[in-house]
Amino acid sequence: MNWNILLQQILNGISLGGVYALMAVGFGLIFNVLKFSNFSHGGVVTLSAYIGFFLSQHLLPSFLVTFLLTAVAGGLAAVTIERLVFRPIRRKGYPVSMLIVNSITVAMLVQQFFAVTLGSDYYTYPVFIKETALHLGNLTVSKIYLLMLGISAVVLGGLSYVIRKTKIGIAIRAVSSDISTPSLMGVNVDFVISVAFFFSGVLGGITGYLLGMAFTVDPFIGSMILKGIIASIIGGMGSILGGVIAGLLLGAAESLLIAEIGAALTPIVIYGAIIVLLLIRPQGIAGKIAEVKA
Amino acid sequence: MFYLKVLEITSLYTILVLGVYLMTGLTGLFSLGQGAFVSIGAYTAAIAYMNFGAPFPLALALAVIIGAILGFLVGIPTLRLRRDYFLLVTFCLSEMVRAALLYLSQLTGGALGMAGMPKRVGLPLILGSIVVITFITYSLKRSRFGRDCIAIRDDELAASMMGINVYAHKIKVFMISSAITAYGGALYAFNILFIEPNLFNWLESAKLIIITFVGGLNSIAGVIIASTIYYSFGEFFRFIDVWRDVLLAVVVVLVIIFRPGGLLQGLELLPSKLRAMRRGR
Repeated sequence: MNWNILLQQILNGISLGGVYALMAVGFGLIFNVLKFSNFSHGGVVTLSAYIGFFLSQHLLPSFLVTFLLTAVAGGLAAVTIERLVFRPIRRKGYPVSMLIVNSITVAMLVQQFFAVTLGSDYYTYPVFIKETALHLGNLTVSKIYLLMLGISAVVLGGLSYVIRKTKIGIAIRAVSSDISTPSLMGVNVDFVISVAFFFSGVLGGITGYLLGMAFTVDPFIGSMILKGIIASIIGGMGSILGGVIAGLLLGAAESLLIAEIGAALTPIVIYGAIIVLLLIRPQGIAGKIAEVKA
Repeated sequence: MFYLKVLEITSLYTILVLGVYLMTGLTGLFSLGQGAFVSIGAYTAAIAYMNFGAPFPLALALAVIIGAILGFLVGIPTLRLRRDYFLLVTFCLSEMVRAALLYLSQLTGGALGMAGMPKRVGLPLILGSIVVITFITYSLKRSRFGRDCIAIRDDELAASMMGINVYAHKIKVFMISSAITAYGGALYAFNILFIEPNLFNWLESAKLIIITFVGGLNSIAGVIIASTIYYSFGEFFRFIDVWRDVLLAVVVVLVIIFRPGGLLQGLELLPSKLRAMRRGR
């Protein structure tokens, strides 16, 4: 394999890796705050992919407007799910396992709902960008992929700033490290959790839009969340930077492996590698280990 | 004939749910990879019988053994970590097994699946298995081991403080669970007579967990009832069959929020309890 092809594969992989990173961070944010695996994130991604499609196809074919609307819709969807499904459980003080079951159920609900109503068709977004490829020397970059990478970078950079510097970001971090104490300091924990879900949902909305734009929309697009979850594990659950690095690595590794050993064997190698990684270094790249606290 | 078929399918799935009950209901381990064990069991038995000419009982035994071994191998790295890792890795496992079954098309027939097994599993064997497995599960629940598992489910840290070897218990439970699930898969292969890699995806695994919760974590009877209702539902109400999973999801969310103990609230339907109920307690 010559250098050119290698570089080309890595470039393609990284662009897709940007979307994996978005998913990993959206998933990890809730994991950090409420300490459970939020599978309903996959549902938000699916829902947003459809919303993005209907907005851009039937309302107005403008990329920027529909993109922003979809992101907000994703955020609102996540907040609604939190209100309806997670909050009652949290209020009553049930164990975390109930949250997991409900999140799996919501993921199933969304997937099956769209499978029943719109599952018989594939939906394609309108073409926003006419010339699809960009040439850089010997390398070819698809403009959509470049856009995906750019958007992922901007969004994740913005989120990182918000989490680190703003008041609400500090509140989210405080609630992440201890869910009961901040309320004694006058932090409205329910509100902070809603905001965390909103951020996570916005990431999910953007993910859904980008995935829908790059591929086609079908009810099972939410299953791509598996890639985000893997990136989240590799990165060390809940670390933003770890998730980003892992997402990019996963994307690059995936496209290299597909080029080298074929698409059939790639998932076997990747999933096998995850199990080995957990055996050697369970804390992931970022080195944050999530333990059960008393 | 139709009702017989419905009963067969429902009972097959009930075996799978019972396998999950031990793990999720009793020990609080979530696995989204039980579908992988169903596939492993089904394919092991089918391949052993079809390609290597193993007699049927040996094929069944092989499926159980391979299932337990795979459970052991997956359990080692993941059960030491917190529960979410186990959940996520078993999720990966199910995708990995699916990809592997597609890839090894020489042996498994790839996407075309496997067919042509003789029908060796009828209703008596399935119902007999349910009785035996229910008995095993119930005995385990009542034993010291089972109580330890319940302690682990309710508070892992406290359980380990009381001297329970949490890791060893989890591995044992996961192995037993995987073995039962693989056994269910093997029965499936020789009853339905057609298997393919996409038969048991994560959604099927998720449903097994969800049904366990609807039935109630503390009630084997509740779990069996919930599973029977769910899996026979689609056969009797064909006109809304496609909405079945959506309906299930809504019901589950409501049950978990308003009736977290499950349908029977942890009640076991034992002869003594029933008699007491008839006498008005």
